[in-house]
Amino acid sequence: MPKSKADAEASSHLDLMIEMTSDFAQSQDVEATLRLGLERVASRLGAEAASLFLLEPDSGELVCHACIGPTEVVGLRLAPGRGIVWRTVDLDMPQLVRDTRHDPDFTGAIDAATGFVTRSILCAPMSFRGQKLGAIELFNKQGGAAFTQADAQLLRALSMSSALALINTRLVTAAAEQEGLKRELVLASEIQRAMLPPPQAPASPIHGINLPARGVSGDFYEILPLADGSIAFAIGDVSGKGMNASLLMTKTASLFRCLAKREDGPGRILAAIDSELQETGLAGMFVTMVAGILDPKTGRVVLANAGHEPPLVRGRDGFRAIEDGMPPLGIAPDLFADGCPESVVELDGGALYLFTDGLTEVRTKDGAMLGSDGAKSLLDAFAAMPAAERLAAVVRSLDGVGSLRDDVTLLVVEDRRLAAKGAFERSYAARPETLGEIRATVARVAGELGCPADMAQDMVLAVDEACQNIIRHAYKGGEGDIVLHLDREDDLLVIRLMDFAPPVEVAKIKPRSLDEVRPGGLGTHLMRSVMDQVDFLAPPAGIGNLLQMVKRISP
Amino acid sequence: MNLNTSEIDGTMVMALAGEVDLSHSPALRKALMELMFERRAVVVDLSAVTYVDSSGVAGLVEAYQMARTNGTRFVLAAISDPVRRVLQLARLDRVFSLADSVEAALKG
Repeated sequence: MPKSKADAEASSHLDLMIEMTSDFAQSQDVEATLRLGLERVASRLGAEAASLFLLEPDSGELVCHACIGPTEVVGLRLAPGRGIVWRTVDLDMPQLVRDTRHDPDFTGAIDAATGFVTRSILCAPMSFRGQKLGAIELFNKQGGAAFTQADAQLLRALSMSSALALINTRLVTAAAEQEGLKRELVLASEIQRAMLPPPQAPASPIHGINLPARGVSGDFYEILPLADGSIAFAIGDVSGKGMNASLLMTKTASLFRCLAKREDGPGRILAAIDSELQETGLAGMFVTMVAGILDPKTGRVVLANAGHEPPLVRGRDGFRAIEDGMPPLGIAPDLFADGCPESVVELDGGALYLFTDGLTEVRTKDGAMLGSDGAKSLLDAFAAMPAAERLAAVVRSLDGVGSLRDDVTLLVVEDRRLAAKGAFERSYAARPETLGEIRATVARVAGELGCPADMAQDMVLAVDEACQNIIRHAYKGGEGDIVLHLDREDDLLVIRLMDFAPPVEVAKIKPRSLDEVRPGGLGTHLMRSVMDQVDFLAPPAGIGNLLQMVKRISP
Repeated sequence: MNLNTSEIDGTMVMALAGEVDLSHSPALRKALMELMFERRAVVVDLSAVTYVDSSGVAGLVEAYQMARTNGTRFVLAAISDPVRRVLQLARLDRVFSLADSVEAALKG
């Protein structure tokens, strides 16, 4: 009989463990499940009261998460030290106290506070393979007897199984949170991208591009037409990475959009942004930023720089860095109290480039940083392209240069006064099938620029022949682009054709002697016949070929 | 570019129309070379050509040279203004045999 009673008990203990494990597996609410488990344990072992303590990693204290019986101690905190619960956790062994009066670790503190009289205690650690989670403590076996060694073994088994269930639950919760966080990051990155300015019209003097290295970016740029016809712009980089940086970036960009309409000049805009950022406190983060205002009618730019990479002006004589500036925004209060110095740049037909350090610090294939000189070569390499395509080409070529570790943001501000008079620029695929479209365009634009019809036809022929040379001799039938530029300077029609192929030895396509009747070499002769001047100019940055053809427009 | 070849009294008449540029000139050259290998007399009707570039002219020059070697007739007939302009620029108007019309070319 005793044997079958023991069997029955063991089997019902097993049922209890299965029930508890199943509770944990199904429940979303860990606290409720812990309480349910504790109720089952207390009732099975006939305890008058029970409590469940979990270790709180941050404080190192044991905190009561569930409690059964006449006194309510949920939330009670036990700092490391004496007491039966801490002894259980420290030793990682069940503690059986048959009579509390004889145990030196029994403090009686809870009894004193609650009026409960503790006679005996059974406490088992909630731990699994050395990972300590807490303990389950039972008080006073019903009927007046003390807890037994068998009770201790059962409680140890139940608490171990609770520990395992709790570990599982925590893992599942952490994974779900991770998944949720990932989804939020994707969403944040989408919102952030939507906040960047939309692609500008080709005729716009300012264009920007942003390439985030990972989900959310700490970079931003803004292009904001103002009521007086000028255009405010900004580029910025928030220190640090991830969600914090991107939230600060969003705030700074919003401040710029708001303040650019109110404040007079970029220096005041930056000072006002700094003052707003100081009020909220940035917890060690800061923002580097350039703000500027372009007057498209004069080609004049007013700039202010707070700790950002110096902007580069590309003029006829090369690049010039605008070095003036202040420390970054958000560093210390009152740094901008006396305002922020402004620089005046006359674009004079040139371009102003602003970029984040993601551009200069990109790694080239040999591991070195691209640097300022590398950035200049890249910008020049695509100089003949229209602005928006140029920025895209520069960013695309970075993939070839090396790996993107940081966000790359690039802004160009151009003097488009000449273009406003009718200069034309467009990029075409270097393929025979494109020639028809190029000819139609040249005929139209040459007419718009004031060429008589028969002269326009000659210009069509010259451009067609030049494009053939590019397709056949520069790209040698391979893929590539041709940039066509048409412009009028006083009474001169200026046509420029740029390609990105290896430099062609001009001598090889020199005009043939006309005494010699043979195919080939004819195209260059046709070009020289209809144009006043045909020159191969030094290709910018040594990449590609630049052909200039000039014709006087006779009235 | 449109290319139509017919035979009139033993002479091949090739009528070209539209734009003859780098994307079409290989087809023109191939058609001309086939006729030249067959040693046919050829009249090219250029009245409907709206544009020709050096690659198109190069095909005509090559055919002209083969015809001369073969001793066969090769005549450009009814050349349009755009064709005349390019031939003048290349000073080829003095090299080719030119006729005012296909009929005149066939008689000549």
